[in-house]
Amino acid sequence: MIHEAGVAVSTKPESAITLSHVSKRYRHFALADVSLDFPRGTVVGLIGPNGAGKSTIMRIMMGLVAPDSGAVSILGQPISSNEAAAKREIGYFSEDIRLYKRESIGWHLQFVRSVFPGWDDDYAAQLLSRFGLNAEQQVKGLSHGQRVKAVLLLILARRPMLLILDEPTNGLDPVARHEVLTELMRVVEDENRTILFSSHNTQDVEKLSDSITFIDRGQVIASRGRDEFLEQWRRIRLQVPADWTVPGLPGFRLESQFRSQRVLSSDHFDQVALDALQASGATLEGVERMTLEEIFVSSVMRGREEKSA
Amino acid sequence: MNTQAIGILFLKDLYLSRRPLFAYFAAGVASSAISVVPQPTLAFAGFILVLTVAIGSGMHLLGELLLSEGSDQTRTFILSLPVSLLDYSVAKITVVLTTFLVPWCTMLACSLVLTAVLPWAKAGAIPVLLVIFLELLAAYALQLVTAVVSQSTGWTIGVMVACNVFLNLFLMTLFQNPEVSESMKGTVPAFSPLIVRIIAIEVAFIVVALGLALAMQVRKRDLV
Repeated sequence: MIHEAGVAVSTKPESAITLSHVSKRYRHFALADVSLDFPRGTVVGLIGPNGAGKSTIMRIMMGLVAPDSGAVSILGQPISSNEAAAKREIGYFSEDIRLYKRESIGWHLQFVRSVFPGWDDDYAAQLLSRFGLNAEQQVKGLSHGQRVKAVLLLILARRPMLLILDEPTNGLDPVARHEVLTELMRVVEDENRTILFSSHNTQDVEKLSDSITFIDRGQVIASRGRDEFLEQWRRIRLQVPADWTVPGLPGFRLESQFRSQRVLSSDHFDQVALDALQASGATLEGVERMTLEEIFVSSVMRGREEKSA
Repeated sequence: MNTQAIGILFLKDLYLSRRPLFAYFAAGVASSAISVVPQPTLAFAGFILVLTVAIGSGMHLLGELLLSEGSDQTRTFILSLPVSLLDYSVAKITVVLTTFLVPWCTMLACSLVLTAVLPWAKAGAIPVLLVIFLELLAAYALQLVTAVVSQSTGWTIGVMVACNVFLNLFLMTLFQNPEVSESMKGTVPAFSPLIVRIIAIEVAFIVVALGLALAMQVRKRDLV
């Protein structure tokens, strides 16, 4: 148990990242009482709309932003008291990161190599080749995709135990995105390494992640295993009589309505719920699986409706 | 504090500023040499050039090494490496000070040596030269604190302008003082009580300003 800023953090040895009641207030945005625990060796996707707080959470994890309250522990150590030691095991990518534009990729490789004793020269050379980068090239001449790949190269070649990647595929063309995702898939094969990455692209998250956390307006709205999400959520199409209302079933939300057709979504769909719907006078037209993007949108909208109710 | 990390960051910044550093070193040597020629107009132009190099190099290096890290977003890259805020702050303030001291020390040394050895120069001017150079260093320390605290080019330029106005008033007051102007005509450097007092105040101001810059930087909570 580690006590930090008046908050007791239970740090399990198997935890890669633990956030305990973390809050951070800005003028127009607040991260409110966020608690998360990601085990080691997992790939976690963080999904949220623009301005949801994904980047703030990641900056807090890196010690770049101090929370107003709460505690953060990385690989079993509180980040606030062991910032430098914790960062030795973390590879952090963010859209905010810029390299020195007048220097070459090779200069950056040498510089980062001087900081990390465990730097893997062979892997760095492989990544240069796979990413189609030229070590002699100056950073100011790189395209967005090449810059992203150069930063990822600098992160991956030090073989960190934890990767925190903030929107690594954002703005990449399909080929660059494929290259980046393929490389991340290779990293995922190492079961000891933990990856937390955020993205707008739910397909990327679905492809890589073991577990997924949805965040909206500074709050965690859902966090569970990817397969659990996909298994539990269903879209239900119904034909209903004129005076029909949605029965009070937990976890059901009216998605849309057109004439006598109603479309509901639910993360608690089972036979009991189906029986209750039919007992209410509705005729079942179909039950469909939902994509991660649909589940995300539905979760966000439900959260917002509950808040405004 | 991780001295190895501080050393790596220090050398990185020194390398990144190598070109302007060399240019200011050369400009410092040239302007100091011009400031001691026996022709009064040219010597005055050289003195103005010395002040210009000191002020220009200070502003340039503060912008290049400290303020641009925020706007160019290279600070996030550096802070993602295994360095603590204290390591980063010590390295940054040390390198920003060191790079300024390169032209400053060059010009100070050239001016003092040339004034002492050239037959037409008055060695009595040496204490006043020391006072002027320390004033330039104190002004730089103040701009450094401003840059660290505000992270704003606008505020730093504003303080630089105020420092330049103060420098003019300071020089005018200094040269109009009969004790100082008389001692400047002597052939032997004489450190009058007034000169010693001014030097002591300048040194104390520099030490406090640099300490304040480090303390303010380390207290920051949000770094990006």
